[in-house]
Amino acid sequence: MKSVSRMATTALQKTTHPHLHSHSDSSSASTPSSSSQNNNTMASALQEKEFVAQFAEPHTPLPPQEIQTRQRSQDLGHSSRNLSVKDFELVRTLGTGTFARVWLVRLSNPAEQDRDKVFALKVLRKVEVIKLKQVDHVNHERSVLADVAGHPFITTLITSFSDHDSLYMLLDYCPGGEVFSYLRKAKRFDENTSRFYAAEIVLIIEFLHEREGVAYRDLKPENLLLDAEGHIKLVDFGFAKRLGNRETYTLCGTPEYLAPEVIQSKGHTTAVDWWALGILIYEFLTGYPPFWHQNPIEIYKQIVSKPVHFPSEPYTSPEAQDIIRQFCTVDRSHRLGNVQGGAAAVKAHPFFRGVYWDDVYYRKYRGPIIPPVRYLGDAQCFDTYPDEKHGRDVYTHELVKKWDHYFEDF
Amino acid sequence: MSYPSAYQEAIESLNQEVSRAQPSDILQFCANFFAQRLEGERADLLAGPHSKPPAMSGSAFPGRFGANSNPFGDGEKLGSAGGISNVIEEEETDTVESPAAPNFSFGAGGSFSSPFSGDGAGQGPPSSFKPAADGFPDQYGMGRRTSVSAESLNPTASSNDNWSPPFHQKTLEQLTRLRKSISGNFLFNHLDDDQSSQILGALVEKPIPAKDIKVITQGDQGDFFYVVEKGTFDVYVNPAGEFQPGPNGLGTKVATIESGGSFGELALMYNAPRAATVMSAEASCLLWALDRITFRRILMDSTFQRRRLYESFLEEVPLLASLTKYERSKIADALETQKYPAGTTIIKEGDAGEAFYLLESGEAEAFKSGNPAAVYQYKKGGYFGELALLNDAPRAASVISKTEVKVATLGKDGFQRLLGPVESIMRRTKYETGVEDIDPLSTK
Ligand SMILES: Nc1ncnc2c1ncn2[C@@H]1O[C@H](COP(=O)(O)OP(=O)(O)OP(=O)(O)O)[C@@H](O)[C@H]1O
Ligand SMILES: [Mg+2]
Repeated sequence: MKSVSRMATTALQKTTHPHLHSHSDSSSASTPSSSSQNNNTMASALQEKEFVAQFAEPHTPLPPQEIQTRQRSQDLGHSSRNLSVKDFELVRTLGTGTFARVWLVRLSNPAEQDRDKVFALKVLRKVEVIKLKQVDHVNHERSVLADVAGHPFITTLITSFSDHDSLYMLLDYCPGGEVFSYLRKAKRFDENTSRFYAAEIVLIIEFLHEREGVAYRDLKPENLLLDAEGHIKLVDFGFAKRLGNRETYTLCGTPEYLAPEVIQSKGHTTAVDWWALGILIYEFLTGYPPFWHQNPIEIYKQIVSKPVHFPSEPYTSPEAQDIIRQFCTVDRSHRLGNVQGGAAAVKAHPFFRGVYWDDVYYRKYRGPIIPPVRYLGDAQCFDTYPDEKHGRDVYTHELVKKWDHYFEDF
Repeated sequence: MSYPSAYQEAIESLNQEVSRAQPSDILQFCANFFAQRLEGERADLLAGPHSKPPAMSGSAFPGRFGANSNPFGDGEKLGSAGGISNVIEEEETDTVESPAAPNFSFGAGGSFSSPFSGDGAGQGPPSSFKPAADGFPDQYGMGRRTSVSAESLNPTASSNDNWSPPFHQKTLEQLTRLRKSISGNFLFNHLDDDQSSQILGALVEKPIPAKDIKVITQGDQGDFFYVVEKGTFDVYVNPAGEFQPGPNGLGTKVATIESGGSFGELALMYNAPRAATVMSAEASCLLWALDRITFRRILMDSTFQRRRLYESFLEEVPLLASLTKYERSKIADALETQKYPAGTTIIKEGDAGEAFYLLESGEAEAFKSGNPAAVYQYKKGGYFGELALLNDAPRAASVISKTEVKVATLGKDGFQRLLGPVESIMRRTKYETGVEDIDPLSTK
């Protein structure tokens, strides 16, 4: 049998499933002494910590159609009622963004066999989330990540929790660092390398759009990490949203990667991710995105009006140029990925000729870059970041009263 | 019940393969089986129009690794079992230590050394990176890019608050001037008539009585976009990125904006620090101001309502009855709005049919040659010409607008691009409602 199903049964037997806690709590309510309540909570905290410690990526990915239904995936991504940041030792910062700081963490007071285990902990401060008007977005992020846990090319949300000031998402640690770092070092990727990453991303987008109805909305090299074997892990679901047959309106993304319909507030759909994939492949091949300028307004003017132009140097093949142009088509009724066939039409494009998509999914192709990861918790592939600034805003009593109930899912 | 013979053959050969291979993951095995058959059949079809689907070759199944060439270039694929720990030991960890960059390193001179030189076993060509060539744009900022986001808004129609855009009366001359000022702007130039008149109505007067008043300050958060109605404004940029107190805090003057000009449009997209300081250069200036939330809500609400309207119209078209919600919303997304004055022939009897129409507002009538009376009346929500999606038969009647009309239209090619041929969509469910009863265009 596969390790996957073994994991699932152990998790079940041990009832470490955070979801089951409400269950065990209510059954213990028949003996409502305060001490037994206490014991129960402590036991749950221990169980939750054990669940975290036991987390391991499966050897063989689950087929996409089973990701939501298998027990193991269902165990992942729940909100934990008992874990706290004290259960982890913050080792160093792995990355920062507009909204969050992501830490490399270890278990605090680990059992002997869990000493080398590491995770990534994404920390968002509630005040910041409120100030930047991202309350809806962080809730979407948590719930979408929970639903997609188990996809081979998406970072796994193990669990989430919160305290007075912050929201926490515990993720599997992707030790290879950002594709962005490799791209900037190498200046550009050749077509085979680009194709490899593009292929894995196509499978992610296909899964998100066609199985989950989710638009990702922030594709860029900074959000693509590599695992130890050099395969893609997509992180940062901060703008991911379940669309349910409808367009959506909130402008979000990264300037160079915004689709024209997002810029012009026409209502957008999952088609924005295909546009962004075109920009991404272009940036892989040339080292810079097709539309750029110091002033974001100038980027947007170009995006809505200018066709993608290819430099004479480096050479890009006609297939690569064609797929980029087909993705970066302003008219959505012509955009590859959005037209008939969806992701299947993308997979059939000549740029991907010869690609065996099953083999891509089951990680049978070797990654073009094998990250120099020397041990489990090695973070040398990541940039270093300055410490957090002091004098930050306080999550005041008034703010708590007004906002805290929006964070209760964490 | 009987199955098609091709199906029975397929299942039989699958049975054979399953009993031979005894796979542990049945679903995956079956999926592979059919995927491979399909592949083979397609290849054969491409090879020659008359060739038959290939027979399953036992030896080619299920393993097909290693034999085919690798589209990712490094020569071989991993075996199905091994290859898990291709982690490479970084030997020279002390080569480059930059605080801003990860400390893996490339060899000098454009060829790359470990850790990117191929795989862990050390065979195969070196990594597939190309050395950097000239022609790399040097102005391009190479730093990590962070994301941007506006506040999330939900369409009024889907929530319970009753929002309607603010309206500030303007004279005809003011409106004409304003229209001219914003018509070339990429944030406005695609708006339809209703949207632009709502936007123009929402612009609010902002008098700037004195000289040297800072309307926007570099580095501050921005929420408003401004159009200059009267007076002049100077634009200053401080190279430090924000306005600073002190004598040279403004930085240098980079531009002057006069009547008809505008500034601060980025604030209509999301909240970002202002890139410059804009200050009145004379007394008694006048601005028009528009804030982001108002701007975005106007656009969002009107788009949202139009989309829902189109979707509800599409639901009524029997030919498209079997479309899923998702498909309907795709079509609604692609529909284009057109306006015609009264008396326009929208489609003409005898012409080749190329597009279909939904009547969004106004009235229209169908006429057939030799018959002076209208044979059909169309009202809001009516549709015509949908048979053009199905075949190239000439239009069986003309449709002429009776009042001014607004129609939403989509061509056959657009439809097929999005959803494939209509025939196959109709085949999903029996097409029961006779088109003939409803649509005079169908009776030849
Ligand atoms: N699971 C992970 N393992 C290792 N590093 C990670 C992981 N998740 C995130 N990071 C690092 O942290 C960085 C910031 O994380 P993330 O993109 O989620 O934050 P953010 O604030 O939402 O960013 P953005 O500005 O793009 O919205 C990532 O670019 C990546 O380098
Ligand atoms: Mg990010």
